[in-house]
Amino acid sequence: MVLEVKKACKNFGGLAAVSDVSFSIRKGEIFGLIGPNGAGKTTMFNLITSMFPLTTGEIVFQGDNINGLKPNKITEKGICRTFQNIRLFPLMSAEENVMVGVHSRSKSGVLSSVFRTKSQRKEEAAIRKRAKELLEFVGLDDFADITAENLAYGQQRRLEIARAMASDPQLLLLDEPAAGMNETETSELFQLIKKIQTLGITVLLIEHDMPLVMNLCDRIAVLNFGKKIAEGTPEEIQNNPAVIEAYLGSEEEEEYA
Amino acid sequence: MLAELFNPYYLQIGCFILINIILALSVYVPLSTGQLSLASAGFMGLGAYTSALLTIHFDLPILVGIIAGTLIAGLIGILIGLPTLRLQGVYLAIVTLGFGEVIRVVFINWESLTNGSVGISGIPHIGREILKTLKGFGFNPQSMGLQNNQFIFLSIFVLLLIIAIFLVWFFRRQHYSRVGRAYAAIKLDEKAAESMGINITYYKVLAFTQGALLAGFAGSIYAHVLAYISPADFSYHRAVDILVFTVFGGSEVIWGPVFGAIFLTFLPEVLRFISEYRYMIYGLMIIILMAVRPQGLIDVNIINWIKSKKRSKRGVTHGSGSEKSM
Repeated sequence: MVLEVKKACKNFGGLAAVSDVSFSIRKGEIFGLIGPNGAGKTTMFNLITSMFPLTTGEIVFQGDNINGLKPNKITEKGICRTFQNIRLFPLMSAEENVMVGVHSRSKSGVLSSVFRTKSQRKEEAAIRKRAKELLEFVGLDDFADITAENLAYGQQRRLEIARAMASDPQLLLLDEPAAGMNETETSELFQLIKKIQTLGITVLLIEHDMPLVMNLCDRIAVLNFGKKIAEGTPEEIQNNPAVIEAYLGSEEEEEYA
Repeated sequence: MLAELFNPYYLQIGCFILINIILALSVYVPLSTGQLSLASAGFMGLGAYTSALLTIHFDLPILVGIIAGTLIAGLIGILIGLPTLRLQGVYLAIVTLGFGEVIRVVFINWESLTNGSVGISGIPHIGREILKTLKGFGFNPQSMGLQNNQFIFLSIFVLLLIIAIFLVWFFRRQHYSRVGRAYAAIKLDEKAAESMGINITYYKVLAFTQGALLAGFAGSIYAHVLAYISPADFSYHRAVDILVFTVFGGSEVIWGPVFGAIFLTFLPEVLRFISEYRYMIYGLMIIILMAVRPQGLIDVNIINWIKSKKRSKRGVTHGSGSEKSM
């Protein structure tokens, strides 16, 4: 198991955004997290990356309890994420954005940076090379010098993935990577995530694009009102009555309508 | 001939310009992580008083005093930087402004140590000390065709010029490195930076402390150049002056604060002939600039434009815009 979420709860005042959710992700799989709007999916991401502390429960990453670690420590451990509302560094070039992503895997300090020691120059060259590789990997190698805010929407989403991958994560969290993409872009994204999987990186994916989720994911968990209502393979999820009810409403309700 | 060129008055303005460049950097560095600090005047005062008191009462060499003044300011910088981490934008500005006022009030009221609002006079003068040392080796400024007071100011000016160039070089290199990228990332999006593995506590306190060290250093130098300091030198007006250097010049690139400090120190001197109207012109210029160019006079686009001009002229790819702003 790469990640085990055990009875995770998160309350915002009186509101239980996530309550008693448990699931675990196996190494190398693509795991989908779906559910209607406001079901607590992004909150779940924020809990895993320690942006918020858990109210109760436990999150275990590769055998270590990661509760209460700072977000930057989580990234060092090997979990990195993208954001639902793109959060690139808008005034930096695409290449610089990815170079920032390598931060946790490099270590030059102020003095070695200023006096450009041999190891610092070597590290800087390695960071640049890694950034180039990753830009090529997501198909943005021609846009390395373009400022992030001037990239097209789909390119920005792919740049976020490249930036997250720069920290060499074991587990990559993608928050609605296909949001706002057209069909071509979505199918390119499908290929990209498959390619990430072949690198041995485990992927946890939040997505509303059902065809994409069903084709891509090995297993899926469904959240509704902060609770997990189902977990299983895409076929199992598609035929699960609780899931169908959450998305479409129950048949009785339809009679009223 | 040399004697006419090195007018002590011009040299002194030159020294103030260089001190102001260092002060402008002390705002620029914390601001490059998004921290708007108005504490520079306070740290400057800490550095000045520490160095002045140590050199007067304990007869320590000026160099030791300056190092001690810089380090004390840096230490207090860490202590202020840690609890103010959570504050952003104008809230941090208010707290740091308050800090500066607290420091000033302490200087006024701790009379047994600081001599209160009268201030401290008779602080050892860097230029005179340099001259005294050199005379010990049998050097005489007359041999260069200079009078003693010309040599004194010339030596300070050259010393400060070397230091200022070193500091600009230092922070420019830092900017184009892993540390500089971390600073920029924090400024642009703190949460995203944290998610990318950047320890924002460390880098924000580091930048704040670097600012405090710079201001403390500039303050110690200031004390030993003027030989007289009083709490009024480190008031709210000083804090705003320093901020305006950086805001006017631009805080996107290091040449902004450098240019701002040079231009705004020079301007009141150049406009001396219209006496009391000069500060009206000064104020008017700042208002116009803020309306037309809120990012400051020197921004990334201007630097890129200068770079491309240089490249097309000489066919080389390096260059930094240094010609224009230094």
